[in-house]
Amino acid sequence: MTTISDVGAAAPGPAPASAPAATRGDHRGSWIPTWSMVTTRFMELRKRRGLMIALAAVNIGIPVVFLGVRLITHAVDPASYGPAGGYDIFTTLVVGFMYIFGFIVAAVVGATAGSVDLTEGMFRHLVITGRSRMALYLARIPAGLAIVIAMVAVGYTIVCAVCVFAAPTQLNYDGVNVPEGLSRPALDTWAAQHADKVICNFNFNGGPGLNGPPPSVPCGNGQTTGPPPGAIIKSTQGGTVTVPAHESQAQIRSFAVAVANQDYTDYRANFLVPPTSLMVDVGLWITLEATIGFIVGLGLASLIGQRIVPIILLVVLELILTPLFSRHVVSHLLNLERGIVGVAMVHIEPGNLPTPFNGGGPGGGGGGLGRSLLIPESTLVSALVIAGWLVFWTAIGAWRMMTRDA
Amino acid sequence: MSTATLASASPALAGDGQWAVETHGLTKRFGENVAVNDVELLVPRGCAFGYLGPNGAGKTTLIRVLLGLTHADAGTMFLLGHQVPRHRDVALARVGAIVDEPRFHGHLTGRQNLQILAAAREPAAKSRIEPGLERVGILHRADDKVSKYSMGMRQRLGVAACLLGDPQLLILDEPMNGLDPGGMLDMRDMIQSLVAEGRTVVLSSHLLDEVERTCDAVAIVDRGTVIRQGPIAQLLAGSSFEVQVECAEPERAAHLLEGTPFGSAVKAAPDGLAISLPEGTERDAIAQINRLLVGGGISVYRLQHIQASLEQWFLSVTKRLGEEDGE
Repeated sequence: MTTISDVGAAAPGPAPASAPAATRGDHRGSWIPTWSMVTTRFMELRKRRGLMIALAAVNIGIPVVFLGVRLITHAVDPASYGPAGGYDIFTTLVVGFMYIFGFIVAAVVGATAGSVDLTEGMFRHLVITGRSRMALYLARIPAGLAIVIAMVAVGYTIVCAVCVFAAPTQLNYDGVNVPEGLSRPALDTWAAQHADKVICNFNFNGGPGLNGPPPSVPCGNGQTTGPPPGAIIKSTQGGTVTVPAHESQAQIRSFAVAVANQDYTDYRANFLVPPTSLMVDVGLWITLEATIGFIVGLGLASLIGQRIVPIILLVVLELILTPLFSRHVVSHLLNLERGIVGVAMVHIEPGNLPTPFNGGGPGGGGGGLGRSLLIPESTLVSALVIAGWLVFWTAIGAWRMMTRDA
Repeated sequence: MSTATLASASPALAGDGQWAVETHGLTKRFGENVAVNDVELLVPRGCAFGYLGPNGAGKTTLIRVLLGLTHADAGTMFLLGHQVPRHRDVALARVGAIVDEPRFHGHLTGRQNLQILAAAREPAAKSRIEPGLERVGILHRADDKVSKYSMGMRQRLGVAACLLGDPQLLILDEPMNGLDPGGMLDMRDMIQSLVAEGRTVVLSSHLLDEVERTCDAVAIVDRGTVIRQGPIAQLLAGSSFEVQVECAEPERAAHLLEGTPFGSAVKAAPDGLAISLPEGTERDAIAQINRLLVGGGISVYRLQHIQASLEQWFLSVTKRLGEEDGE
């Protein structure tokens, strides 16, 4: 039974008054966070020493150590160890390392930002301020991204700098030192002058008028290429051709030029140093990947209310599910596979890069072998999938923040 | 902002409404368990108000509902005259609270934790960090990490966090927890000084002695229900009390009283008798005892009215309710 015993008689204290001007100008019900909220949230994350060390170690430390070792070994013994930088190293580091681990590290920061207020008891202090819970949630996004993007930017800048300034002086294409950036006629001229190297090393895919390598082209170590003279081989146009005993130098040069022509597009995708436009594009691409990692980590941690499980789930997504579903088509789950953000990200990767999850390193090539193995998806669908993930996880995290008991 | 400034600013920051806290039919359930049951609570402005109850009575749950930390299942509530949760942003702008054990980011300093909380309040809150830390007596440790703070220091930091909003209403859940005797005395003084500035302090506690020393009014809650509320003096005025009688010949005095309505309440005491009188007994009973003894030829040296303590009153009320439930 609830009874009220004469409390109403005693109501001391100040007389009721209307809200003062300071209170009237206080828009704490607004869902837009203030600058102070963002900066203090940034401080809260930045002061997590262990997290920051891990973040710096992965995003900056590992590339720096890798490149540092290469710089030193090349300086000590340039004959045995190639240059530290260059296009190949750039693609290997970016696709094979920074892209994947940038996502994971960003997810760790996001999961931390999304859960620590709750687990460390600050959430209720913040709710009691009367500030919009939506604003409390949204303040974490710019604060966390400022850290994640800064780390990615520093690591990426170091990689770009080393790859540009410590690049090899000659382009190594299919094991042959070739001048970089030749036009098609110039490559033809160069191929005619180095016919044996081209014939012995460049990829040859057959084609009209090209029945096979000419005989007796020396390739070193006493080896020759092409079928033996007098052999009967199948023509690519049908029928058979008898390999002549000897080809003239003119015929050999002509064949080398034809092979070089076949490989020109692939050759043009190889650089001594990564082009500026590619570095910009790739920088934006790995930043987007890190942003996705942070937003999803934040939303998932806010939903679950803890840090470890979201991190594990996102590592599984990035290292297991995405490689799996980006390569293996399950026909009745194709649209679901397309909905995986990692698959969408691979589809919008800048050209001239090997695809991620393809073992890293060059070889996939923009539009080449690696990309051809991906499940089909248009750029528009990829963009929608990425936007959808960002919006969905932001919404789900904010919703949980607004409805959770503090 | 100095303490004096805080005090002078306070009255102007009051919201509309006569009561600092007002609830009607407030109910909160967790499944089958009714943690807050149809609570009608009226907390006057400008006083220290104790919200008392045994462990598990629903004290903290009521506070959590009031502050919007969890939703109510039924009822209406007002803080400083503003209906919550509808106008929670306006209402909570002038409310400070500690709920449960005050916890903060352990890797940050006390000052940095307050900076985070001040950022979520109005811009002026930032300028209240230093005065707040000074007032609770931890300014000298403000730049130490909270992970190195004792429980008592975290309590003080919690109070400093409450003061960031220049609150008209402070709600403190078990504020004496973890404090040593000196800390409890400081906390009591602080609460009284806050009330003296015109603020309202609601504190929930099961430390009845502390509440009696600190508060002007109380509400008693048991199993989610408010069973009594009002000014302490008023509540105790109608409660049982004891009359200590210092007299000659205590045995004969006891024998003399046996045949009267007071007979069953008489006990022997070191210098005479102690007579326990039930709730609702008029003060005239003391004079009546005196007349009986003097009329019987007993020399009476001293008669002292001993009012029951809040603790005794609380125990008698809750015990009686328990007995009623058992019947």
